[in-house]
Amino acid sequence: MMDEIRSPRLVGARVLRVEDRRLLTGCGRFVADIALDRMLSAKFVRADLAHGNLTGVDVSAGLSIDGVRAVFVGSDFADHEVRCVSSYEGFQPSGQPILAVDRVRFVGEAVAMVIADDEYVAEDACDAVIVDIEALTPILSRAQALADHAEPLHPGWVDNAYARRVLRTPGFDQAVANAEHHLTLQLTNGRHTGIPIETRACVAEHDRGSGVFRLFTTTQIPHLIRAGLSLALGVPESSIQVVSPDVGGGFGVKAQLYVEDVACCLAARALGRPIKWVEDRREHFIASHHSREHYHTVTAHFDSDGVVQALEADIAVDMGAYSVFPWTATMDNGMAMGILPGPYRIHHYAATGTPYCTNKTPYGAYRGVARPAACFSIERLIDQIARHRGLDRVEVRRRNLLQRSDYPWHSPSGLVYDSGSLIESMDKVLELADYDGLLADQAQARAEGRLFGIGLVAFTEQTAHSTQEFKLRGVPIVFGYETVRVRMDASGHAVVAASIHDHGQGLDTTLAQITADRLGLAIEDVRVQYGDTDSVAYGSGTFASRSAVLAGGAATKAADVVADVLREVAAHCLEASPQDVVLDAGKLWVRGTPSRSIEIKEVCRIVYQRPERLPDGVEPMLEASRTYDAAPGTGAYTNAAHLATVEVDLQTGKSRVLTYAVVEDCGPMINPMIVEGQIFGGIAQGIGTALFEELLYDDDGQPLSTTFADYLMPTMTDVPDFRVAHLQTPSPHTIGGIKGMGEGGAIPPGAVIAAAVEDAISPLGHVVVTQLPLTPERVLDYIDAAKNQGGGR
Amino acid sequence: MREINLVINGSDVQATVADRLLLSDFIRDDQRLTGTHVGCEHGYCGSCTVLLDGASVRSCLTLAVQTDGHVIETVESLAVGADLHPIQEAFRSNHGLQCGFCTPGLLMTTLELARENRDCSRDEIRERLAGNLCRCTGYHQIVDAVQAVLRTGLSR
Repeated sequence: MMDEIRSPRLVGARVLRVEDRRLLTGCGRFVADIALDRMLSAKFVRADLAHGNLTGVDVSAGLSIDGVRAVFVGSDFADHEVRCVSSYEGFQPSGQPILAVDRVRFVGEAVAMVIADDEYVAEDACDAVIVDIEALTPILSRAQALADHAEPLHPGWVDNAYARRVLRTPGFDQAVANAEHHLTLQLTNGRHTGIPIETRACVAEHDRGSGVFRLFTTTQIPHLIRAGLSLALGVPESSIQVVSPDVGGGFGVKAQLYVEDVACCLAARALGRPIKWVEDRREHFIASHHSREHYHTVTAHFDSDGVVQALEADIAVDMGAYSVFPWTATMDNGMAMGILPGPYRIHHYAATGTPYCTNKTPYGAYRGVARPAACFSIERLIDQIARHRGLDRVEVRRRNLLQRSDYPWHSPSGLVYDSGSLIESMDKVLELADYDGLLADQAQARAEGRLFGIGLVAFTEQTAHSTQEFKLRGVPIVFGYETVRVRMDASGHAVVAASIHDHGQGLDTTLAQITADRLGLAIEDVRVQYGDTDSVAYGSGTFASRSAVLAGGAATKAADVVADVLREVAAHCLEASPQDVVLDAGKLWVRGTPSRSIEIKEVCRIVYQRPERLPDGVEPMLEASRTYDAAPGTGAYTNAAHLATVEVDLQTGKSRVLTYAVVEDCGPMINPMIVEGQIFGGIAQGIGTALFEELLYDDDGQPLSTTFADYLMPTMTDVPDFRVAHLQTPSPHTIGGIKGMGEGGAIPPGAVIAAAVEDAISPLGHVVVTQLPLTPERVLDYIDAAKNQGGGR
Repeated sequence: MREINLVINGSDVQATVADRLLLSDFIRDDQRLTGTHVGCEHGYCGSCTVLLDGASVRSCLTLAVQTDGHVIETVESLAVGADLHPIQEAFRSNHGLQCGFCTPGLLMTTLELARENRDCSRDEIRERLAGNLCRCTGYHQIVDAVQAVLRTGLSR
């Protein structure tokens, strides 16, 4: 481990963001803003049936439209596909064609690609292309997918499970036998996804002279896209440049290689002109990946004190039609199986997992990956144990949550939790939210006949997991490390080139804070670069709450190498020993003698422009690249406690979140302002998970949620003000003790709000809320069920 | 094709455009003012909001030909040289943006509100800006920013 940050001036402070100026003035450069010379527009014709044999595509009417340059169909690109094979035993791989060849497997699958002078003409031509599909029965549910005689959706498969996983700790059966009480819940999480406000887009060009492809694309993972393109195009990675400029939100949906990226590259090569494609919103709902559709059956085996002795889980995830690159089709299942025991002292655990294939849009990552569903399952169980034993929800958590003395905790699924403050964060959120006051408010509301409920969750979040963790997940590319190059110029400024990507997280600012502190610079003297595979070193990109830890660590290591050179050259100039030279605030000086000093920019000038003044053996270079993977690679565990109050309208079933309080512990914060922004944004997405967002299909596999009128995202009036406080428990594993926190806000709101809704309607009778999102219709069903049960009233 | 004459960010613009050309595409592709962003083309997300004769409109639901004889303001009109507009300053100081994609639409909607020159409660601000979706911030810090600018006013 490196030493602590020396006299930090920027790390830990609420530094305003360096990226804001360009984004506020309209000077951001997003992919859709790019216009290249001789560029053509692409639009896709998409399957309008969920499952069928593609018997013909008649492009003649499309091609005859003035301004149409080409129409490509599946056979044009049949040598290419997107394939991602998990190393899990028994994994059944699927190859997604760039354009469907003989079969369509979801509504929205690309069937033909029109290239025209502009988007308007391209859309006219798409309407004129005639697609013949001979309908087959679609598979749209777990029951249909895994039925005994169900036809496999892919050639060579034996059934429709991408894989099956089993996990069982030794002694599990005995622990179950010893437990006095048993409680089972079946839980459903609606299909929904990240929905950034910027849709996907790409611009591809191919240089016939060098054979190099250049792809501008809206991605969180430029190098991984290059790796995937290399496989799909059949050219070496060095023949591909991927550039991801400003990206308008990612949330996981832009951490994937899509067929449109490949198609635009192939069309650009075929036509010798740049090709631009901008996804429209309807396409985004049907062709960008979906997420979150989990079905869990969970059983808690517990004693009379409400202490869990063993946990059992059956997990099924609707992964849609194809395995996605680079995640495969097993990631959500693996994550859910791993993290379901959550923050509790559970020793015995058995789980089965089945990611299955359906005729729906393929499924990929969304902020939190499986953890919102896992948190929903375990927290709903804990709440029911409390009710079963007649205990307060706080007390039952206090009895089961890990305490500081339990760390490092080896979870029954094999995870190693490094550190945390679960009980402290719960206590602090009760204080922050004024829990006693809320109980009084609730009594008052109930006296007035209003349905007012409180929900509480404490949870732990695996972050910054690297080599060890991803090796276990069976992904073909192990997302181990990130890389940062720090280079100082002759003016005394630094450029930080990082393999991660910023799309709203403020990493421009946080990496500048870290580097500036290590090099004794002002934040204005540091420029951060990312997104272009030709100018930054190999790495994975930004996802899984790992960039601040891994890229921050790599920046620290690289900056320290450069700082050592500055110190050595300064020592030579000042006739002192390098160990006696202090670097800070733009200067280097001899410890104890501040008057013997030299400015950093003067040292930089000497290094590059006056090599004759360098000490022997020092090269005229201020540059270092370092990688960092936060050994042992099992993750830094952030934890938090969330408390919300909800009022339910008895007549309409509409739930309104009244207050929301969070205590977050992500270790030492690089920038508390940015941390809070990440938490708030995550919670708002979680409120969408809890109350609004669902990608519905009809019985024929037609998507019903294809505009913002059908798919409701939280607006400003759906989200309350937030209250937030922090604890800072450093990770023993990471540089600076930093933990990730990008996803945490989005993980528990479903569980918190479900608990609050259940609590709100409990005066009418007892029901267990097990289904998300809690749309007004579902809440009315729960209200009816509660009334039929009869209750305290 | 039709000829239109309008004012964009204080400059006279004359252009010949197709009848079906959207204002958003005219601003972005023809005028190359790419600060205005398009998020849905259905009029829901509000990212493409610009001011037409001072009133907020969805440029994705407006045809370029409808702006003949009118005055358009986009996000590019706000800052003067290196000096940010007070609304931009407020968004920056309050961390009212993350990825920045929805931001231009929010800035223009806020400008319309701020020109009414009155203070608003947080709930009123939320009502007035509810037509602009943001997926990153969770809105809290946007409300902080708008509240700050309504209190300090638009004078630079």
